[in-house]
Amino acid sequence: MEHRTAVDPHPQANKHAAKKLRNIHHLSPFWNAIAHLGIGLFSLACVYPFLFVVVLSFTDETALAKNGYSIIPEKWSVDAYTYLFKTGDQLLRSYGVTLFITVVGTLLTLIIVSLYAYAISRSYFHFRGFFSFVAFFTMLFGGGLVPSYIVVTQVLHLKDTMWALILPMCVSAFSILIMRTFFKTMVPDAIIESGKIDGAGEFRVFLYLVLPISLPGLATIGLFAALGYWNDWFNALLYIDDARLLPLQSLLMKVETNIQFILQNAGLAGAGDRTDMVRTLPAETTRMAMVVLATVPIIFAYPFFQRYFVQGLTIGAVKE
Amino acid sequence: MRKSVLLVLTFIMLASVALAGCGSSKDAKPSEGTKDTGTTDTQQTTQEKKADPVTLLWYTIGGPQKDQDKVLTEVNKYLQEKINVKLDMKVIDWGDYSQKMQVIAASGEPFDIAFTSSWAFNYVEGARKGYFLELDDLINQHGQGIKEVLNPAFLEGSKVNGHNYAIPTNKELPAQAVWRFNKNLVDKYKLDITKATTLESLAPMLKAVKEGEPDVYPIPSNIGMYLPFDFALEGIPVGVSMNTTDFKMVNIWESAEAKQVFKTMREYYQAGYLPPDVATKQGNDFEKTGKWLVDKQHTVPFADIQWSDSMKYPIVSTPMHEPLVFNWSVTGSMQAISSKTKYPQQAMEFLNLLNTDKYLRNLINNGIEGVHYKRLTEDTYEPIPDSGYSMPSFTLGNMFLLDKLKADPADKWEQYKKFNDSAKNAPLLGFQFDPTNVMTEIANVKNAVDEFGPSFNTGSVDPEKMLPKAIEKLKAQGIDKIIAEAQRQLDAWRASK
Repeated sequence: MEHRTAVDPHPQANKHAAKKLRNIHHLSPFWNAIAHLGIGLFSLACVYPFLFVVVLSFTDETALAKNGYSIIPEKWSVDAYTYLFKTGDQLLRSYGVTLFITVVGTLLTLIIVSLYAYAISRSYFHFRGFFSFVAFFTMLFGGGLVPSYIVVTQVLHLKDTMWALILPMCVSAFSILIMRTFFKTMVPDAIIESGKIDGAGEFRVFLYLVLPISLPGLATIGLFAALGYWNDWFNALLYIDDARLLPLQSLLMKVETNIQFILQNAGLAGAGDRTDMVRTLPAETTRMAMVVLATVPIIFAYPFFQRYFVQGLTIGAVKE
Repeated sequence: MRKSVLLVLTFIMLASVALAGCGSSKDAKPSEGTKDTGTTDTQQTTQEKKADPVTLLWYTIGGPQKDQDKVLTEVNKYLQEKINVKLDMKVIDWGDYSQKMQVIAASGEPFDIAFTSSWAFNYVEGARKGYFLELDDLINQHGQGIKEVLNPAFLEGSKVNGHNYAIPTNKELPAQAVWRFNKNLVDKYKLDITKATTLESLAPMLKAVKEGEPDVYPIPSNIGMYLPFDFALEGIPVGVSMNTTDFKMVNIWESAEAKQVFKTMREYYQAGYLPPDVATKQGNDFEKTGKWLVDKQHTVPFADIQWSDSMKYPIVSTPMHEPLVFNWSVTGSMQAISSKTKYPQQAMEFLNLLNTDKYLRNLINNGIEGVHYKRLTEDTYEPIPDSGYSMPSFTLGNMFLLDKLKADPADKWEQYKKFNDSAKNAPLLGFQFDPTNVMTEIANVKNAVDEFGPSFNTGSVDPEKMLPKAIEKLKAQGIDKIIAEAQRQLDAWRASK
């Protein structure tokens, strides 16, 4: 093994070092290469299936039927996409729905959770214990599916509205817990005192003093909430009958479960019934194209947002 | 201070307005895509003398269609005239239907009519839990037409504890398993498929094809062997023999017939007649590639035509047994009325119409003439592809009223009637096993069956060695308790007849 100087991450710190030893905290080049190779293979294994889906979506349907799946199809075609763009206002609509519930839901979650958590983090709030209990009780005991369903549909009458996709998920006890701890530990009492002395009321203190220094906490909660709304399909399964309000993940989920179901139950229904069932499904390449159209924009958007994610999640670590 | 209070207040106001707005938007749904909302309004003014029409909420299974609202407008025009009823039809996807309906029914949410069957939103279970209205008297009062068109075995066979809780769809009544052959290969190797009766009789054909086409697996998938038993419960090997005289429940895996089938499958597997990974293989890709010779399916009249049509190459078949009426084939597709409905009479009148009125039945199934299909002759039609409306025909109501496709034979429905009349009853027809007392055992045994079943059915393991182990496991999981419980219920049921 030869001694080579590794790339130094802090060039300005070592500007005056004439001759530099290899940083002992770095991996040796050999192990570094091994690690890179391992990670590279792993990434490839993650990307490959999706690449496969992309290729399939551009495959000719009859070629697919004849030869089965292959990474280099015999015949390319954009039929699936032309078909989708002709009939696929559903996909666009679902995109809109998902974006809407993600944005509105995340904002609503942030407002409610931060207000709730701030209140129960203040030691002079009289009903602190009671409201803490109300929130944390739900973490241990849930009513179950049917009671929740009854509340949403028959008490709140939210069936077939956007709110059925937002309200059931908009307060999480876990987020309140995180936020409460954050307010307790990261917001010094002195700041609140200073606001009080200058004559600010509770709301002004909260809005102008507490929130600006709580951004890392809010980012974390917001991220979890946004991911939750984006990926949620189960609420739509329960509460949405109207295709105009169907979120994206639900749309994809439906296609998947339908195919599973029909394959499993093909033997139960009669001969004509099965052809009947299959007729109502989109073709294979169309399904793949749907997956591509549903995921690609997010894949391209992700790198731009990633740094915020990382920042938001490093809450609690020491930062300067 | 004042500013922040105002801020909060405006937020609360906004939120409440938004909530209220969204809540009420349900009643004033903008009916997109229907240009003729005006006609329904004018209709209502002309019909003011009549009582306001009743709206029935109807859940059914299928794929939601783009032109649903368009077709529903037409349907409602007709229904209002006929029986002063409006329909709110909600089509739920195949894969979601059971789960969704279970929750709706369990929560007591109102609906009027719902699709139910042996394979989706289970009918017997639903009837026992009290989700469905008992229909005996209603059928006699407002469903006379249904009684006339339905083969009586349908209503008889779908009774739960002696009562009817749903209206069966008039379709094929019995089930008949067939060997289904890829005709291209049959012709190429000059096979005589009439000789295909038992599993063993396939041996020479499989051999000929495998020798001629080394890259073809003649049996392409787990074809789920036909065993001459009537199962007490789906997916559990407990039942009585088809030609039983003493009605004794047995463990089917211990029977000589099952052992013979497993043994033969093992021989075929070792000879390379099945794909090596067949036990875990999913799907039916072989249908597309055409690289297969034979599998097992349930037939209906002219099924061969349908299969050939959907696969784009010719299919022929040979029956394995005479047509038999099973519990699961009678309850293969039904429409039930909710026990919570406010309008039982109207619901039954509508179902009656759906099973007797040719115009309505075809409209709900095929959509609007000229928009969703072209009419060829008086009773044949041709669907317009990608038109935005196409419903599964077997789920809705009397199939014998439906217009035929161009390829269909003229006497299609007469043949169906004949097929229904020729059927014999399976020994357990009308006996509905109540699993309440042995729920745990059933779940455990099901797991064991799922673990071993596919391997035995495809010959992937040696039954000589593995079958005793599997039977031991079934016994350990409590199959004997299930058998005893089934026997007890069966004896009680027979005594009551």
